[in-house]
Amino acid sequence: MSLSTGRSCRSAPRAATRRQILCQAANGFGALALQHLLAQRASAVPDSNPLRARDPHFPATAKAVIFIFNVGAPSSMDTFDPKPMLNKHAGESMPASFGSVGGQFTDGSTPILGTPWTFKRYGQSGLPVSELFPNVARHVDDICFVRSFVTHSVVHAPAMYEVHSGRLFATHPSVGAWITYGLGSESENLPAYVVMPQPEGTPEGGTSCWSQGFLPSVYQGTLLRPGPNPILHLRPPEGMTRQRQRAMLDLLQSMNESDAGEFDSEMQARIAAYELAFRMQMHAPEAVDLSKESAATKRMYGLEGDRTREFGTRLLLARRLVERGVRFVQIYSGGGPLSMQWDAHKHLKENHEKMAGHSDQPVAALLEDLKRRGLLEQTLVIWGAEFGRLPTSESGNGRDHNPHGYTMWFAGGGVRGGQAIGSTDEFGLHAIDRPHEMRDFHASILHAVGLDQHRLSYLHGGRHEKLTDFGGEVIQGMFG
Amino acid sequence: MIVRLCAAVALTGTLAVSDAPPNSSLESARSYWAFQAPVPVTAPAPSSPWSRTLVDSFILRKLRAEGLEPSPSAAKERLLRRVCLDLTGLPPTPAQAEDFLTDDSPRAYTRLVESLLASPHYGERWAQKWLDVVRFADTDGFERDGYREHGWRYRDYVVRSFNADKPYDRFIREQVAGDELFPRDTDALIATGFHAAGPRHVTSGNQDKEEARQEVLTEMALGIGQSILGLTVQCARCHDHKFDPISQKDYYSLESFFMATEIEDREIASAEAKATYDRALEAHEKRLKPIKDQLAEIEAPFNDQVRERKRAALDPEFRAALELPKDGRTEEQVRLAKEAESQVKPVWYEILPLMPEDVRARRAALRQRLHALALEKPDPPAAAFAVDNRDEAPEAYVLMGGDYRRRGEPVQPAFPSAIGSLGLEAPSGPEGRRTALARWLTHPENPLTARVMVNRIWEFRMGSGLLSDPNNLGTLGGTPTHPELLDALASRFARDGWSVKAMDRLIVLSSAYRQSMEIDQRKASLDPGNLWYWRAHRKRLSGEAIRDTVLAASGRLNRAVGGKPVRIPIEREIYDLIFTEAEPDNLWPVTPDRAQHDRRSLYLLNKRTVRLPFLANFDQPDTMTSCAVRPRSTHALQSLSLLNSDFMQEHSRALAERLRQACRPGDSDCQIESAYRFALARRPTPAETRSAAAFLASDAARLQDFSLALLNRNEFVYRP
Repeated sequence: MSLSTGRSCRSAPRAATRRQILCQAANGFGALALQHLLAQRASAVPDSNPLRARDPHFPATAKAVIFIFNVGAPSSMDTFDPKPMLNKHAGESMPASFGSVGGQFTDGSTPILGTPWTFKRYGQSGLPVSELFPNVARHVDDICFVRSFVTHSVVHAPAMYEVHSGRLFATHPSVGAWITYGLGSESENLPAYVVMPQPEGTPEGGTSCWSQGFLPSVYQGTLLRPGPNPILHLRPPEGMTRQRQRAMLDLLQSMNESDAGEFDSEMQARIAAYELAFRMQMHAPEAVDLSKESAATKRMYGLEGDRTREFGTRLLLARRLVERGVRFVQIYSGGGPLSMQWDAHKHLKENHEKMAGHSDQPVAALLEDLKRRGLLEQTLVIWGAEFGRLPTSESGNGRDHNPHGYTMWFAGGGVRGGQAIGSTDEFGLHAIDRPHEMRDFHASILHAVGLDQHRLSYLHGGRHEKLTDFGGEVIQGMFG
Repeated sequence: MIVRLCAAVALTGTLAVSDAPPNSSLESARSYWAFQAPVPVTAPAPSSPWSRTLVDSFILRKLRAEGLEPSPSAAKERLLRRVCLDLTGLPPTPAQAEDFLTDDSPRAYTRLVESLLASPHYGERWAQKWLDVVRFADTDGFERDGYREHGWRYRDYVVRSFNADKPYDRFIREQVAGDELFPRDTDALIATGFHAAGPRHVTSGNQDKEEARQEVLTEMALGIGQSILGLTVQCARCHDHKFDPISQKDYYSLESFFMATEIEDREIASAEAKATYDRALEAHEKRLKPIKDQLAEIEAPFNDQVRERKRAALDPEFRAALELPKDGRTEEQVRLAKEAESQVKPVWYEILPLMPEDVRARRAALRQRLHALALEKPDPPAAAFAVDNRDEAPEAYVLMGGDYRRRGEPVQPAFPSAIGSLGLEAPSGPEGRRTALARWLTHPENPLTARVMVNRIWEFRMGSGLLSDPNNLGTLGGTPTHPELLDALASRFARDGWSVKAMDRLIVLSSAYRQSMEIDQRKASLDPGNLWYWRAHRKRLSGEAIRDTVLAASGRLNRAVGGKPVRIPIEREIYDLIFTEAEPDNLWPVTPDRAQHDRRSLYLLNKRTVRLPFLANFDQPDTMTSCAVRPRSTHALQSLSLLNSDFMQEHSRALAERLRQACRPGDSDCQIESAYRFALARRPTPAETRSAAAFLASDAARLQDFSLALLNRNEFVYRP
């Protein structure tokens, strides 16, 4: 694999050794011949593998990231940030001192809506979680809640872009693409950055959410689906046997060899890419094949329950991918029709019970499973959304969007669990204590994977672009 | 895009902003070479027969100064394929190849070049480049990502303009102010779609109108800065430019040229065409009505059922309010009733599970009929997705930190001070602002416009720019590798009528262009990046060109030029990525005419949030920001697309079939030779014939595999 070495508006390609190209190219059927051909070439092939695993800038606390994004925005005050004042003042107007703060469809004049759920304290830390997440609640001692995130749009798509890429517009690479660019791939046979949307549909922001933006397409998020054909175009067409395909590839590679100038690294990289594609055809189906998972594991993820089966399957896949060296797994709870989003403009109770019903057990299982396998300490799990929801009502029994203060949480990957950082006001409208913007969110994620937010840059449009731009603050106290 | 980040930063006010007047260092920055008029350098006297056009004299002098020599000319068949792909984006046809390869006269190459410059595909090739620069797509972007019914006319305008060799200054004037300058010229109106080419956030709910308006203005200023001026003016949205002499005031003065400008569909159809449309639409609606009625009839009882169920579940206060007569409700009850209405409203996904299987099937079939009929909906009267002027131009202000809520001093339209007014005046009324801007941009003394374009042309043809980033002639864009050549080309361009074809001719006829790509180790050690052009650049074709070339090889390419964008069938996985909250059974109405599916990639509908994987994998730009030079990466997903996609299966099969047609049964030599001719426009070498023959001999069913291998070959997907 390579980036071209021409002088376009990109930074210089990262280095790879000849040996790595060889290794990558040399696992297939025709490997011997190829190895021979390549071995004849002298040392002059410039480094050319943009996905080569690279050392972080400083010691990382996480090798991989699983980002669970809850599409449509769960309500913080009904899940992880209890606000007793809501039920005390339900039906009343917000105190005038709060001003008129609305969302996308309401203007703040509607009455306060009480929460339909009760909260209980869990674990040694005694952190509160509502009835919506009784299973996740058992893991609070591994979880760091940040209750004071802020985004800058009351509309889904721009706020989603901000959470994924730091910008309100889909103009910049997503955090997964940045990390892949910075660290390359640990997997020889799978994409480094994998995306698993809700089968019913995508988030409002569409594929731009996991876009590589102006980075080369090698850093794109690769869509992965459960089932026998997990990656687009992975499966050879009907009737194409493995042997026949190998014969075709051998012919192709011999032609490619004769086309590649002796010192042409990009052409050599293309030869290697075909070998990786060939291996991926073999290994990707194995990675998504759940038949070897124990019945207990499947049960834990909820694969036997109608409500949890779908999301449980994807989270189990996430664990399998991380186990196999995938660097960044972006996974969506919700998407498509309103009935399959957290976007509770009305019927908050039904909506959140349904959505939490899909995800509570699987998310808890993921934490449990990662922990048992010793993977949690090197895997950063993030649970988040584009914003939270308002304390005031919409359509009588729903809540509108609230980007002014909301909760996301983190576990594993060096995160110190059992704590809550920051806070919102007594009604959960605004972040008041230690508000954190997306630049801080991203700075913290980069920090966990050992990347210096100021050094990870890419020349675009005449500017060294960075994920956090002028820089964010690694959220204090989150790690260690 | 920096603009965006400025907006985000501004909201929290962490960035120090300044509206201070440009200081003395800015004064000195104005003496930067790019802000001085190009010097009409004369070419060095040819010192070698190698020098064919003025380009060569400059290139050769520099090469020798660096201790290098040019490479010999590429083999004739490679040059043929290269120049065809470069100028038209398509490989040579067998007839073109035959003509050129058998023509031994010294004029053969010139004749070929002239025929390519005259080809309708020349403008298509250029259009792809220009559309990258202006970040054109067929939809708005963001969550709704709405289709721009008339957006494609701008794309066709660009194709037409390059084909007609429209002088570049006229091309710019039309795009910037065609509506004002040429009020009776439909094409000039369509041209102003330039200002609307980028993404636009259209959404429902509480929109901050001023914020949305500010975004539109930003996109417009950005288009001028990046596409025409080659300056990162957007950097000055929040603060004075850090590296170039562009103050924040300069930026907002540039934006204020657009204060009266509004994006809208502007009708260009005749009254007669509109009347015809009205009648056709009425007839169309009549055909739909019985189906819609049936659907309503089927759904009614289930809608009632859902409504009733939700009504029963209402909280008592809501139910009570709803049950009151409309005129008997208090203000509070009016609100409650309205909210109750919203709560009980049935949604498609609530009624579907209630339907018995057969009813649901009947409904689905009816909807399919409705969707099929919708494909026959008459096209709306022709309109231009363009701009118009409002009656008034609101006052513009410097915005502190780029935040529309923090107004600084008022500004008037004014030209960037680093260059000055060039003796032109910008009007203060709503009319004619863009005219003034257009005149200034194309003024012969504007130091940037011609330089930016000749550098684009050079980069397009030679594979790398004299300046590496054609969108940035500012100080961070670096200095040109061949400053004299850049100036010689720029002054000639402006002097000789701004002809893009003349520039193209000058470059592709040069010896520098015709060099081979062979890598010489000694030269490579002196100049590994080929900065001095001691060989031709080898570059992978764009995804669009690869797709078009596959279509040409399989013999299926539909060469029609222009028209509405085409929706080709997409994979289920991609269909599922289209965001909607509605019933997702008609999100991608495939163009019914099968022949349209084999159109050139330029004509495929480009949806900002859902892109075709075949193209996206090969670094197709995301159309959110201007792309001057496409990045180029190599990875396994490309290989998977080229090996296993339906598209490649279909066309490797078609190529195999074409080979069978071309040859007697079993004549594998003929098949191999034909395959090379169709795919690579050359004859196979004896060694290639041998290995292909051995491959084909091993199993008779493998002609398609052989075809697929050829279409995957490095030589096939790289500029030769």
